[in-house]
Amino acid sequence: MAEVSVRKLIKRFGQFEVVHGIDFDVTDGEFMVLVGPSGCGKSTTLRMIAGLETVSDGEISINGELVNDVPPRDRDIAMVFQDYALYPHMSVKQNLGFGLKMRDMPRAKIEEAVQRTADILQIRELLDRKPKQLSGGQRQRVAIGRAIAREPQLFLFDEPLSNLDAKLRVEMRTQIKRLHIAFNATSIYVTHDQTEAMTLADRIVVLRGGVIEQVGTPDQLYNHPVNRFVAGFIGSPTMNFIDAELAESAGEASIVFNDGQTLPLTAAQRQSYASHKGQKVLFGVRPEHLTNVFTAENRGGAGLVPIEIPVEIVEPLGADTLVFSKLGGSEIVSRVAGSADLRPGTRIPVHVDMSRTHLFDPETGVRLTAT
Amino acid sequence: MRMSTKQRLGDAGTYLAYLVVCLFFAGPLLWLISLSIRTAAEVYVSDIRLWPQNPTLDNYFSVLGNQLFPRYLWNGLLLSVAGAFGAMLFATPAAYALSRFEFPAKRPVMIGILAFQMISPLVIMVPLYRYMDRIGLTDSHFGASMLYIAVAAPLFTWMLKGFIDGIPRSLEEAAMIDGCTRFGAFLRVIMPLSLPGLTSAFVLNAILGWSQFIIPFILLSKPALQPIAVGIFNFQGTYNTTSTQVLAAASVLSIVPAIVTFLVLQRFIIGALTAGAVKG
Repeated sequence: MAEVSVRKLIKRFGQFEVVHGIDFDVTDGEFMVLVGPSGCGKSTTLRMIAGLETVSDGEISINGELVNDVPPRDRDIAMVFQDYALYPHMSVKQNLGFGLKMRDMPRAKIEEAVQRTADILQIRELLDRKPKQLSGGQRQRVAIGRAIAREPQLFLFDEPLSNLDAKLRVEMRTQIKRLHIAFNATSIYVTHDQTEAMTLADRIVVLRGGVIEQVGTPDQLYNHPVNRFVAGFIGSPTMNFIDAELAESAGEASIVFNDGQTLPLTAAQRQSYASHKGQKVLFGVRPEHLTNVFTAENRGGAGLVPIEIPVEIVEPLGADTLVFSKLGGSEIVSRVAGSADLRPGTRIPVHVDMSRTHLFDPETGVRLTAT
Repeated sequence: MRMSTKQRLGDAGTYLAYLVVCLFFAGPLLWLISLSIRTAAEVYVSDIRLWPQNPTLDNYFSVLGNQLFPRYLWNGLLLSVAGAFGAMLFATPAAYALSRFEFPAKRPVMIGILAFQMISPLVIMVPLYRYMDRIGLTDSHFGASMLYIAVAAPLFTWMLKGFIDGIPRSLEEAAMIDGCTRFGAFLRVIMPLSLPGLTSAFVLNAILGWSQFIIPFILLSKPALQPIAVGIFNFQGTYNTTSTQVLAAASVLSIVPAIVTFLVLQRFIIGALTAGAVKG
């Protein structure tokens, strides 16, 4: 088990700085996901924690011990690579036992650990095969097996599922989650896929351009994003953003869109945004909060505002349907009931759950809150 | 789908071109074989005839009967294998470093290695001899093999670098996380995976060493030390009458081992030559 602490971490490649002094902590047994678009520095950060990249500045500590200059082999970590990185000239069995062999574990113990790992991952019948005789999913299983066979104090995952097809990815995601629950080992997982991040993580670090945008639980990131980037990055389909103004309408503080349409604020919001009155804002609402579905959560809620939207494109997903439409002059997506018979060109009634909407500063992208 | 006449004509043209190129390169070889089965009298006949009037294997018997001939073959084998082996010792770590590490002036170093490859020993024949003579390394297999190594190392390095470039870095990174030092990862992961590349580079360089002429010609004056390529040359002087036909027989015999090796191991050799090409 391990705690990881990253302090003012900087990485430069020559003159080019890719990680700009980031800080975060991973507590013992936590599953931390680093997520962000490509080039955000997430893999570089993970590789610095692994010891595969040198640290340009700042500190990385594992269990309170500074490891900046500790070689990877002495960090007691295991890593699962995007391309699996199985040793092609060794059998599955040898792959699983390689780390133990390098640590001079007695042969009988290695055999025992390999068999145990093979049982956990259900790859017993593959033990004598070479990696090239395995399918992508099997290779991924072996790669994970190689990591858990050693029982390291820290697991690192570098986009381990991105080479798998969609169905297998979901399967392996569940498998990884199951393993984490069973072993409760501290894990750091890098991905660009926000769904993977949301489903796996205890906490998520959202990175962009080498800086941290927000660290928080999936719930915090989804419900309380600190800025427009995080709000847009987390959640699928992505949050709708509409230019608007915080104005007075019919004696009440409201959202007024560019085309004149208004949405009244909830009492709580009126209080929160009082100091921003008259300001230009970016109105953010997730597709699932712009819907015709009543849930236990929103039924009878004070913030439900009925509106009508024009149907432009319909994407039925079975359980629900995505409707591409326009609101306040902007393109939007709403998630409505799956059974609804919708035709482009018609209008449908939906309600906006105002209590779940956000306002952002159009200049800085920062979410507006009570001041 | 039926091939159009245009396509057929195009194909015929291609094959015709192959034939011309093939004849161009096979011509001298065929002529060499033709010479090697002639009598002394027929060597200088004026009419061009590939198959001689009185074919004979006498020339081969006289070459094989020469006491020094097996010695020449052995020397050739020794020097070419020593050269390829020594080159491998130097080229493998160099190729790994050039493939994996970033360091100042990496490109100039690589171009430099290739540039040295382009300098023919012929050009530096005189200073090379004087230099080797001064340090007392003429007329020794040790001295000669040092030069074989020096000549083979650049090509060996480039071939192997191309091969190692094709081995994913994540493999040695995984090994280093699994408990290896960088050198351990090199030995346990990179070396076994480079084996096909190593083998082909070794074979190709050994064959090139087999046909090396200039270096042993400059450095080895004692016939007992000379490899086959230089040994053949001695047949010219050994016989006072016309010796061209004997020389030809010796030449044919000398290329047989190289051709046999190539045919047996061609899969490896072609693999090595194309490894660098695929992974630019």
